[in-house]
Amino acid sequence: MLKVAIVGCGKIADVHASQIQRIGGCKIVGVCDKEPLMARQLWERFPVERHYGELAELLSEARPDVVHITTPPQSHFDIARFCLEWGCHVYVEKPFTLRAQEAEVLIALANERGLKLTAGHDDQFSNVARRMRRLVQNGYLGGPAVHMESYFCYDLGNPTYARAFLGDKYHWVRNLPGKLLHNIISHGIARLAEFLTSESPQVMAYGFVSPFLKSLGGNEIIDELRVIVSEEDGTTAYFTFSSQMRPLLHQFRIYGPANGLILDQDHETLIKLRGTKLKSYLEQFVPPVVFARQHLKNVAMNVRAFLARELRMSAGMSYLIESFYRSINEGTPPPIPYREILLTARIMESIFHQICANLPREHIQIQPQSTLSAD
Amino acid sequence: MNQAEQANFIVRKNDPILITGATGFIGSRLVENLLDRGFCNLRCLCRPTSEVTRLEELSGFYRGGVRVEVVRGNLLSRKDCTAAMEDVAVVFHLATGRDARSFPDAFMNSVITTRNLLEASKQHDCLKRFVNVSSFTVYANKQNPRRRLLDETCPIEGDGRLRSDAYCFAKIKQEEIVAEYNRRIGIPYVTVRPGYVYGPGHETITNRVGIDTFGFFLHLGGSNTIPFTYVENCAEAIALAGLIEGIDGEVFNIVDDDLPSSSLFLRLYKRDVKHFRSLYVPHAASYALCYLWERYSEWSRGQVPPVFNCSKWHAFWKKTRYSNERLKMRLGWKPKISTEEGLRRYFESCRNGKGHA
Repeated sequence: MLKVAIVGCGKIADVHASQIQRIGGCKIVGVCDKEPLMARQLWERFPVERHYGELAELLSEARPDVVHITTPPQSHFDIARFCLEWGCHVYVEKPFTLRAQEAEVLIALANERGLKLTAGHDDQFSNVARRMRRLVQNGYLGGPAVHMESYFCYDLGNPTYARAFLGDKYHWVRNLPGKLLHNIISHGIARLAEFLTSESPQVMAYGFVSPFLKSLGGNEIIDELRVIVSEEDGTTAYFTFSSQMRPLLHQFRIYGPANGLILDQDHETLIKLRGTKLKSYLEQFVPPVVFARQHLKNVAMNVRAFLARELRMSAGMSYLIESFYRSINEGTPPPIPYREILLTARIMESIFHQICANLPREHIQIQPQSTLSAD
Repeated sequence: MNQAEQANFIVRKNDPILITGATGFIGSRLVENLLDRGFCNLRCLCRPTSEVTRLEELSGFYRGGVRVEVVRGNLLSRKDCTAAMEDVAVVFHLATGRDARSFPDAFMNSVITTRNLLEASKQHDCLKRFVNVSSFTVYANKQNPRRRLLDETCPIEGDGRLRSDAYCFAKIKQEEIVAEYNRRIGIPYVTVRPGYVYGPGHETITNRVGIDTFGFFLHLGGSNTIPFTYVENCAEAIALAGLIEGIDGEVFNIVDDDLPSSSLFLRLYKRDVKHFRSLYVPHAASYALCYLWERYSEWSRGQVPPVFNCSKWHAFWKKTRYSNERLKMRLGWKPKISTEEGLRRYFESCRNGKGHA
């Protein structure tokens, strides 16, 4: 029986607790929060053995095998290092760490201690993301990715959330190097990192404050971001984050030398884009029918998943946690290669370095290319 | 405020009174109510981004030694709470977390904030009463036979999480922590549980009437009485709960007289505000919907969240009558605004587009 603990008892901890309790062969032996009442409320609502206000107490008394870190990102590094030093495997919610160097330290420490780490990039393990991965692994693209586009949007339309961090000058989101973006864009960047091959892609970032956020007084919080990533071997990628565009996309497009794929996270659909063209007017008649057929097939798959009770909101997290635990039990590689975690952290760091260093200037900033260090 | 009335109060008009949530729907009316009563040393704890123009206007309007102090701060900060509580004789704690979906957020913004205020009051040791503003949502309403009266003696929800309503859970825990501080260190308190507070500035139609979750309006209330309280009547009751002597530890439900049925309310709304299509769901059918939804949610292991469930049906859509007898008897409260007049003002506000259903 794998003994699990959760550190940090806020909103996302609820999702972790509810997913962990679905998985057989594990139990939550303790939850911890520096605000003991928060730990207590989680303990009251889930089958958890004990609650703690001190991390050291949790580790020494509950002796967990795995610790899920669901605290604000500023504390991820210190808590993860502490847990690794105690001999625990660690699942760190996104963003993995504030700085890429901290990610490197944690991975080195985990390797040194023979422990496992993973990052909360659970969108990559949704039903549709796994279908896409299988197709890519089976060679559907016809070779390495030529170009990718990742869209990750976030709705600030309900000003409640925006007002919460705008109204609180001490809100932890404000103190992140990348502020709002730092807490949100990991999923979209991790999708690119999965298919990038080099350790040092070039990153160009351009960000600005939307008129909506300005109207709420958030002049120093960037909520619109466009990024170009390019590798020496010619692979390129675009990343778009927007709080204002509609529809609010959570989409990933990947194009290879032969074919392409479009993944839509919200609709749980995967569309194949065939690279070959048909002759003459057939190109205007046949592909729409093929697309219609693919969409119908997606509907059927989603209905089947729903009937099989697999179309849950947090199916990706559930799968990631289960895979992580399996890798611990069986000694197999963790579900997210460390290379991807590091690359995601490095790309994010480069983005924030470019856009946040220039915040006082009002609007559009196109930065000179910066090369990420692989060291 | 006349002399006889003041004689029954636990505070003098110059004593500092703290109001949390003072810029909110009820809070702003409470401030006016207290000023009308002659209290002239009010402190309003407001978020840094809260709009306080109205409070500043009030301060200017009453003049003559009246002090409406706006303290910017966050109830999650113990330091801010300690500063706000200094020398305070009565606290009206209205600020709350309204998010019904996230349990941790609702808990943090209701319970942690309340705990911080209680701790701060312990430090200053001059508090005469802590007015804990709770909600009707805490009542389980399960053991009551149909048509039975719901009053302050009815049991509250034993397990708030079963209703899958974070607000309900947080309010139950908030009441618990206030009672705990009373037991442990003797902080005097009164709990008020308003029904559905309505009026200009809050124009949504309560779920007790119906929901539009599925893209059209399902009328679930039918002939049920809706526990309305007009915002100024509610503010009056809360003010009295903080001032009247000899009521420590008591609980007061706040509902108005002459409450309309859900059907009547909906008919008037359609007539006076705007017409829209609604589908009446009989009680048996709404119960069946809640029961089946809850069972499916359980079977599917949360594939759909249990937002409709039997506990919720009992609390929201079961036929129930409400009492304000204790409020009248113990506090001498009577509604300033009749329900007829309250609804007229509310519909007018809806018509003017200040809100929407």
